Amino acid sequence: MTDPDTELWEAFHEDVTHRLDEMEAALLAIEAGDPGTAMIDSLFRNVHTIKGTAGMVSMGDVAAVAHAVEDVLAIVRDTGTFPPGLVDPLLHATGAVRGRVNGGDMPVDALLAELADALTALRQAGSGAGDAWAQTPEPGSEGTQVPRSQQSPEDWVSRGVLEVPARAVPKQGRELPGGPVAPRPIPEQRSVRVDPVKLDNLLDVIGEAVQDGRRLAHALGPEAELPKALSAALGAGVRTLEQLRDSAVRMRTLPLAVIAGPLPRAVRDFARAAGKDVTFTVVGADTELDRVVLESLAEPLTHLLRNAVAHGIEAPADRERLGKPARGHIELRAVPRGNLVEIVVADDGRGVLPEVADLAGREGSLADVLAHAGYSTAGEVTHLAGRGVGLDAVKSYAHSLGGALEIRSQPGHGMEVTLLLPVALAMMDVLLFERGEAVFGVPLAVVDEVIQVSQLATLSGRLSLTVRGRPLPAADVAVLLGGHAPPLSRRPRALIVAVLGRRIAVLCDALVGQEEVMVKSLGPLLAGAGYLGAAVLGDGRIALLAEPAALVRGRPDTPAQSGLDRPPDPPRILVAEDSFTVRELQRIILQTAGYRVVTARDGTEALRIITGDADIALVVTDLEMPGLDGLELTRAIRADPARAALPVVIVTSRGSEEDQRRGVEAGADAYMTKHNFDQHALLATVERLIGR
Amino acid sequence: MGTYVRLTVAAEAYAVPVSNVLAIVGPGDLTAVPGALPEILGVRRLRGQIVPIIDLALVLGLNATVPQRQLLLAEADGVKAGFTIEEVSSVDELDGQLEAAESDFLLGVMVRDGEPFGIIDVARIIGSLRRAGS
Repeated sequence: MTDPDTELWEAFHEDVTHRLDEMEAALLAIEAGDPGTAMIDSLFRNVHTIKGTAGMVSMGDVAAVAHAVEDVLAIVRDTGTFPPGLVDPLLHATGAVRGRVNGGDMPVDALLAELADALTALRQAGSGAGDAWAQTPEPGSEGTQVPRSQQSPEDWVSRGVLEVPARAVPKQGRELPGGPVAPRPIPEQRSVRVDPVKLDNLLDVIGEAVQDGRRLAHALGPEAELPKALSAALGAGVRTLEQLRDSAVRMRTLPLAVIAGPLPRAVRDFARAAGKDVTFTVVGADTELDRVVLESLAEPLTHLLRNAVAHGIEAPADRERLGKPARGHIELRAVPRGNLVEIVVADDGRGVLPEVADLAGREGSLADVLAHAGYSTAGEVTHLAGRGVGLDAVKSYAHSLGGALEIRSQPGHGMEVTLLLPVALAMMDVLLFERGEAVFGVPLAVVDEVIQVSQLATLSGRLSLTVRGRPLPAADVAVLLGGHAPPLSRRPRALIVAVLGRRIAVLCDALVGQEEVMVKSLGPLLAGAGYLGAAVLGDGRIALLAEPAALVRGRPDTPAQSGLDRPPDPPRILVAEDSFTVRELQRIILQTAGYRVVTARDGTEALRIITGDADIALVVTDLEMPGLDGLELTRAIRADPARAALPVVIVTSRGSEEDQRRGVEAGADAYMTKHNFDQHALLATVERLIGR
Repeated sequence: MGTYVRLTVAAEAYAVPVSNVLAIVGPGDLTAVPGALPEILGVRRLRGQIVPIIDLALVLGLNATVPQRQLLLAEADGVKAGFTIEEVSSVDELDGQLEAAESDFLLGVMVRDGEPFGIIDVARIIGSLRRAGS
């Protein structure tokens, strides 16, 4: 964390990514018809800074490409004209630089040649001078002479450390590329660096104080019977504590803009590849979300946008025939809804087929129908959208975070896909219910409705409940969770839970109600028991929060056996990763797919776990970790005769061929890069190596 | 050898290195966790966290006929857990010879005043439950 090189690198990465976002926004605006000199000035300024900072981190190739771009832009600025053909080579350059700083390779020679051609064309158009090649930039020629970036050390973010803005970030609602827009200003990011663990501790203590306040109120009895002054003071105290808690929770949040930067460019590229004409707007980019949620959101979001372009928006000619504007429109909208945020991808394309709308009417929800893998509104699968549409994956992603997926569509009139996600993972709206002596909760987002059960039947020996004329599988929540409880009350309640494309009636004794709770971890010893965590209620009782997937998956109703000699069932995977965020993300992905997961914060801890646990079936490791790194860990595993065959998957931000070669030489079975990290590819690789 | 918390579990004598011990508390109210390992009796709130409570007698393979009246809050490898014990007898500096123990969950056995007692391996117990439970 304190390695100055790492800090410099992180600062560089952050700064360059931001500037590339701005450059691409400006290029797309120019392409859409904004010829403003402000755009060109902004492009010029940003590429100049990139060139300078690239020199500081010894990326001569980036500096060379930036230099070539700068040469091109200098002529544009001097002549005041921006030929339309120039957008593509410049976007190629920004895209390649982005890939390079994310750890990939960059075709430097090809880029320089393309930019040199552009320069020649510009010069010939301008003055007709024949010395176009006289000033071809030399790679790295000026890389180190440019002043340092304007960032101060306080701005530097290091992986695993949350940035808490010390000052409000300017609002960043943007519209691209439809109208005249200014590129996003670089928000002033004067921040303090805080270890996320300290933030979590603060949240824990504040959460306790809130509970203490509620308990005090509870102990004093009904509010109406209290002296007025006492009741007022108590109310004010509880409210202040809740505000304090909300402020602390907000420290973990960041605006959607943090990940929205590359999206306009991505939509443009999808549209190009699919032969579509599309405008894209982002509304509510300043809406804040938990950092962990935000970082995991980029992939499903890109997927939804790709679907909207490939399967939603019609070809321009078809649109005109239908009386629609030739250019389609896609909007990404983030709207706060209580302690959830609505992330909406809306398009004005063809929508679902009438048959599908009818089917959804009969089956319940469009999300359920469409989430059945493979369905596509385009009627065929294109190379762009990949095989299957993957809405099922998006849906289970939302559920894994305690959220939900909703889809609205009218045939012929476009589609709105809505992801409902928690603002903060620490806070969750849950439905509380009783079974036996205990209180349990489930995320409110997965409960369709609650029904008073008057009659239960059995079908093929299994409980079944008829809801509005249709049979639903039903089960006692105590059985689903694997516990014991007295017989259900005579008139049980049924929670209709919909998750992973299945609906089930979960039977309990009584409903307690809906509450916004602070989710506390149950710790590693209970990681596989089927709970998201627990919440402490106002009366001091602990409510266990059931993992929705565990409810629909159910458990065989077998008596518990001793854990210390229990035979292993699903394969166990070790995730070694020093970044909390990445580690949690990988854990959630693998657990959602049904694996058991053990985590380690570095190679040393990973090796200790592997040595002590013969059941580990596969290792997923980061490359760069403090102490023992991923390569050393891989070598140590290969050197141990007992574990030499243990599959190792390296997932890293370093993606050069040289890195891959070193990974393979150390004995890794697969090598994946974080910057184009794809959870399906990870799961496919794991499945292949474990042989399930 | 170091400082140990000496205690009894199911009428047998044991000791835990003081470096593993955070607190000794009363039994309190447990919330059972359906689906958890049988060794985990439940969870309870301790110092703002939810902590699993482990049936130490069951882990050690003992038959507890006397109610376990206290909880030993311990930590190993960053994981906190409460262990049910009968009672704490003393906190002592011990420097006896450590003999090999039969049990996987003991660091060894010491003899003091002619009486043997096992040194509990907190990290081993937590690690084993962690693997079995995940």
